[in-house]
Amino acid sequence: MNKRTFWAFTLPSVAVMLILMVFPLVTTLWLSMNRLLIRDLDNPEWVGFANYSDTLNDPEFWSAVWFTLRFVAITVPINMVVGLGIALLLDRVGKRTRPVYMAALLLPFIVTPVVGTSMFKELFERGGLLSWLWTFVAEDAFAITDGNVQWLIFIHAVWYTMPFAMITFFAGLQTLPQDRVEAASIDGAGFWRSLWYVTIPHLRTLLLFVGLISVMDAYRVFDSVFVFAGTRFQNVESLQVYNFRVALDSNIGRIGKGNAIGILNVIGIFVVLIPFLYRSYKDQIAERS
Amino acid sequence: MKKDTLLGRIGVHGVLLILVVWSMTPFLWTLQTSIKFTRDVAAREPVLWGYETTANAYNAFWLNDEEINMWGVLAFILFFAVIALMIGYLGRQMERSWPFNLAVVAILAFAVWYFPRVFETSSEYEFFINSLIVTVLTVLISISIGLLAGYGLARYTGVSGAVILIVALAFRALPRSAFVLPYFFAAKELGLLDSRLIIVLSLVAVNQPFTIWMLRSFFMDVPKELEEAAMMDGATRFQAFRRVIVPVMWPGVIATSLFTMLLAYNEFLFVRVLAPTEWTLPVAIVSLTAGESSRTITEAAAASVSITLPIVVVIILFQKHLVKGLGAGAVKG
Repeated sequence: MNKRTFWAFTLPSVAVMLILMVFPLVTTLWLSMNRLLIRDLDNPEWVGFANYSDTLNDPEFWSAVWFTLRFVAITVPINMVVGLGIALLLDRVGKRTRPVYMAALLLPFIVTPVVGTSMFKELFERGGLLSWLWTFVAEDAFAITDGNVQWLIFIHAVWYTMPFAMITFFAGLQTLPQDRVEAASIDGAGFWRSLWYVTIPHLRTLLLFVGLISVMDAYRVFDSVFVFAGTRFQNVESLQVYNFRVALDSNIGRIGKGNAIGILNVIGIFVVLIPFLYRSYKDQIAERS
Repeated sequence: MKKDTLLGRIGVHGVLLILVVWSMTPFLWTLQTSIKFTRDVAAREPVLWGYETTANAYNAFWLNDEEINMWGVLAFILFFAVIALMIGYLGRQMERSWPFNLAVVAILAFAVWYFPRVFETSSEYEFFINSLIVTVLTVLISISIGLLAGYGLARYTGVSGAVILIVALAFRALPRSAFVLPYFFAAKELGLLDSRLIIVLSLVAVNQPFTIWMLRSFFMDVPKELEEAAMMDGATRFQAFRRVIVPVMWPGVIATSLFTMLLAYNEFLFVRVLAPTEWTLPVAIVSLTAGESSRTITEAAAASVSITLPIVVVIILFQKHLVKGLGAGAVKG
């Protein structure tokens, strides 16, 4: 394919991304340098880096940063390990029963996130199933409090994001050459040895891929925390929720500061991402020569 | 593959069944809340068995008419669903299935249009229509421009292709909030706030990186020889693409469309910010669950069940495509 045909094919898509993604990012950068309130959108006032220093000195910002980091550090590894475990189990099930299990396990992943969250939360609210079952363990019915709400958010995150890892690993297992597994078992390798020396090396690139996507998605968690904690709880706020609240949700809605937080978020994710992007770029170039 | 022993098989199924319970409990609990009377929901000890069922909550959410017989509503929905399923099934047996699929779409569209003419619907029905329109438009626009770009990116070997892919990957990682405020600002300036257009455009944009990566990986599986043969026979590149390549790409198109569809149907933040009144269903439901009274608990449950049902249908009918789609981007690494 020559250059002209290539651009003819890709132009609509590239134009959409340029106009609707690059342009907004530039706007974000510009807005972040202005003082701009939501009830007075016509009068931006240039303030330089004041919004940034304001954000970096805001204890609520740091609380959101730590919450988000905890969220990533706890949920991503659990998702990967449990996802791989379930994928191995699904691999052992016959072709006829497998779709039934898969449908049930996939549903939390594709249900509307805000709706799935409120369903999950309802179990722990007063009158909910798990809140009531708790009375058999402890004296009182379970209640969501400042202290435990973040753990519920983590558990819920595993509930709805783990299926992604599970399905991707399952797809990877389908391409695992059976003769290698058999050779390992003839050589006397048990389940764990064959998992460690045959299966996991085969899934190596997939592990990286799933890990990266999970980190990206966990870093920008919004829907689940927004519904679970709302404004009811102290110090339970992801970066995106904090950003939303500062920019839009209160009467003072500071759009300028909101955009500064947005830019800081972008910088944050790129620190993690750049080595990976560089590697993918090398791969792409290698593919071409 | 090594055969498991009987005990091993029981163990595998046992663990999987526990996982199914873990995965399904919130849905089942919501389903039974939605068909309970308020007094049973408010009880301190949950009434798990033998409660009286009612469709009041569904009525309260969807309809403006308390007298209506909900069996009639159910019959209406089942009638059109069964006809659509039968025609769709018939189409799969035929050599040419597209006229049948078109008929299915037409029947469902007619049912959606006809429903408020038979029953007195509430404003939530408008939000349902908004959801449908936004979802359909987002899928159509995303997939058509994404198909072209995905094909170009799969076949072109220049460096600019690699650059576009990497930039798109970087965009895929960015938080929504980096885009939503500029969209809000621009929409306000252009007078597009509260329009379906701005929601569709923003969803198409944020979804484009994912769409082109996924479609590209499906195009990479289509052998080059296919279009080269067509072009030898005198077809232009675009004709070859449309007549030869796209038809063998259908599984990829369906998989990508499904994920795009879910994204648009499930979107909360963009709609919440860009449309103060012209909501779609997720925003309408969140506004309900913010309430605490037990009347809204049943109503929110009914709403949640309603919004989830189409997704359950999708998972039953298209599971294979969903799994294939998740595998496609991944397996090649």
